[in-house]
Amino acid sequence: MNRSGIALKIIIFSSGIVLFLMIIGCFMVIQYEIKILNHMTENKISHKENETRIKLYQAKKNLKKQLQQQLMDVINIMKSFDIIYDQTLSNQIQMLLLQPMVMASIFCNQEEHPFLSAWKTNKKIQIAAQLPETFDLTSYQIIKVNTGIPSISWIYLYYSSHVIETRITAERDLAIEELHQTRNEIYEQLRGVLLTQTFGTLFIIVALCAALMISLKIFVLNPVKELIAVSNRLKQLDLSVDIKTKVYSYELNDLLKGIRQLLEGFRTIISNVQDNANMLSKSADNMTGIAEQLTSHSIDAESQSNSVAEASIQISGNIHSIAEHVEMISDNIQSVSSTSEYLFQNINSVANAIEELSSSLSHVGERAQKGTQIAEQAVLLAKKAGDTMNQLRHAANEIGGVSEFIQRIAHKTNILSLNATIEAASAGSAGRGFSVVAGAIQEFAEQSSRAAKDITNRIAGVQKGTSELENAFTDVSSIIKEMNLSSESISYAVIEQTKAVQEIANNALEADERARNITFAIEDLSKTANSAAENITQVALGANDVSSRIQSVSQTISFNRQVSHQINEAAIVLNHLSGNLKDMVDPFKVSSNKQSVKNNESEELRKEIK
Amino acid sequence: MPKSKKLPVTKRQFCTFQLAGHYFGVDILDVKEIIDEVTLTRIHHAPPEIMGFVNIRGHVHLVLDLRLLLNFSSKEIDDASRVLLFHPRVGESFGVMVDQIGHMVEVQDSLIEYRLSDDNVSGMGRDFRKANLEKGVCKLKEKLLIILDASTFLNAVEFKR
Repeated sequence: MNRSGIALKIIIFSSGIVLFLMIIGCFMVIQYEIKILNHMTENKISHKENETRIKLYQAKKNLKKQLQQQLMDVINIMKSFDIIYDQTLSNQIQMLLLQPMVMASIFCNQEEHPFLSAWKTNKKIQIAAQLPETFDLTSYQIIKVNTGIPSISWIYLYYSSHVIETRITAERDLAIEELHQTRNEIYEQLRGVLLTQTFGTLFIIVALCAALMISLKIFVLNPVKELIAVSNRLKQLDLSVDIKTKVYSYELNDLLKGIRQLLEGFRTIISNVQDNANMLSKSADNMTGIAEQLTSHSIDAESQSNSVAEASIQISGNIHSIAEHVEMISDNIQSVSSTSEYLFQNINSVANAIEELSSSLSHVGERAQKGTQIAEQAVLLAKKAGDTMNQLRHAANEIGGVSEFIQRIAHKTNILSLNATIEAASAGSAGRGFSVVAGAIQEFAEQSSRAAKDITNRIAGVQKGTSELENAFTDVSSIIKEMNLSSESISYAVIEQTKAVQEIANNALEADERARNITFAIEDLSKTANSAAENITQVALGANDVSSRIQSVSQTISFNRQVSHQINEAAIVLNHLSGNLKDMVDPFKVSSNKQSVKNNESEELRKEIK
Repeated sequence: MPKSKKLPVTKRQFCTFQLAGHYFGVDILDVKEIIDEVTLTRIHHAPPEIMGFVNIRGHVHLVLDLRLLLNFSSKEIDDASRVLLFHPRVGESFGVMVDQIGHMVEVQDSLIEYRLSDDNVSGMGRDFRKANLEKGVCKLKEKLLIILDASTFLNAVEFKR
């Protein structure tokens, strides 16, 4: 089974599924068709039965009509005769019975007594007065007619529809039979069709499977086999494989092309590697020798530079200590200088402050003197105001007297006017004009009286106000006097203080000058110390620089030695590696046997180097 | 004479004054003069209604206390007190003391309601004499003015005695 491959497996599996599905499909189709066929036939049969039933009914109806018509004809014929003979009656009854369906006929008189009867026995017509007892009438239909002829008023006619019935049922059975037959025929045909269908599809599937198998084999399996062969050769590290590129399909072509390119790339790389490895091993050997020489040289240089560096470090240390001392001195002098400057500034500020104090004190003294003068003026003014107030009070009092006088005059005028009115009244009509004047005068008097009263009240208010003002002024003047006294004492004190402050200021100025001198001297000193310190620091820096440079030289030399050692080691390692690389690369067959000869030569070379 | 015709007869003038807050008036034709500065000379044996004599420009007049005549209590003389002197035709040279003098008013006669004089009253006794001092009531705009008859004043003093 393993030999069969992918294609066969896929084909067998898929064809099996298709076959299974086909069989199921066929079975279902057959079942369905049979069902439809049965249904159709049954439908037709039921339809036919219905039809026959309707036909039977119609036939029976027609028969009855026909017989009635015939009977009526017979009756009409008999009516047309004037005299009816027995012979005619029997003829008529026989005529009636000539119809195949009519089985018996009875002619009755008015009392419905039968007097003439005819019936069929074995298709022979027999006539008698009455029907025989044996003749069974129950299975026949009956038509009863009143003729209207006195001798034969009633006619009974018995007939049978059996013949028609049998005919119609026979027809029906025949039709059904035909239907069944046709159905069976269709059935047979269908079966044949289905069988052919099934076989046809089977054949198609088989053909399809075969085509698929062949195409798979040609287009997929062959290239795959080729690939497998290539891979087998690659397994054996043979890179000299050539891949044939036929035109199968673009996917496989791309794959093969890719693999071929990969192989070519590998081939070039490996051949390069082999060449390089040979060259590498040679150069590594050379390097090892050079590195060893370098190492020995650098060891000598290192020992010499180390001794120089130690000496320079000692020198630098000495110079440093000197520089530090000088710097300390310079710092000290600077601090002294800054302190003296601070002192000078303080004294200066004290002197300034004292001068300001003195000037402000003299200012205060001036102000105090001015205040004293102002206070004196204020006292004078207050006194003047008090006098004015007194005068005002007097004036108010006088005004009060005047207003009282006015009031008195007003009273008098009032009385006068009243009297005038009285006189006018006594004068009668002649004094009428004068009475008006008198009334006016009276009103004027009243008004002036009111005005006088008002003035009196107001003046009383003024007097009260002036007395209060007077008190206030006396208070003010006493306060001003006190102020005057205090300002005088202030001015005196200020003068004394000013003197003291001026003395202080003189002393401060002197101190200031001295401090300035000190500061200048110290500043000179500090400058000199600074310059010395700077010079020494520069020397120390130079020494430092020299020592550090020498140290760096020594470090570089030692580093060189280490590096040459490392190079030596690296060269040795390289040599090993190149040998290993060669061993690894050698098994690859790049093209042909010529290269292998070369490889052998390089191996020999390597062995010699070793 | 033509001027007297023009004067409406129905109008009358009254001299008004106040007594104890009440408002009184007398016919202006009965009044001769109003005096403000009074220097009374008391008559010590006279009845209390008589306040004393007063000398007006050489003529001596009797001054009555109208408050007492009208049954008010007496009152001291002050700045507002005045003396009304009446004409000789009313009574022989006399005046009355009032609390305060008022205006001269002119009223329609129709506004005055006169007291009906009853003859029967005269003999009824002294209690009614004060009522006789009143002549009627005049309806002014804001108040009522009681009109007194000046000619009855002297009689009232005499009756009292």
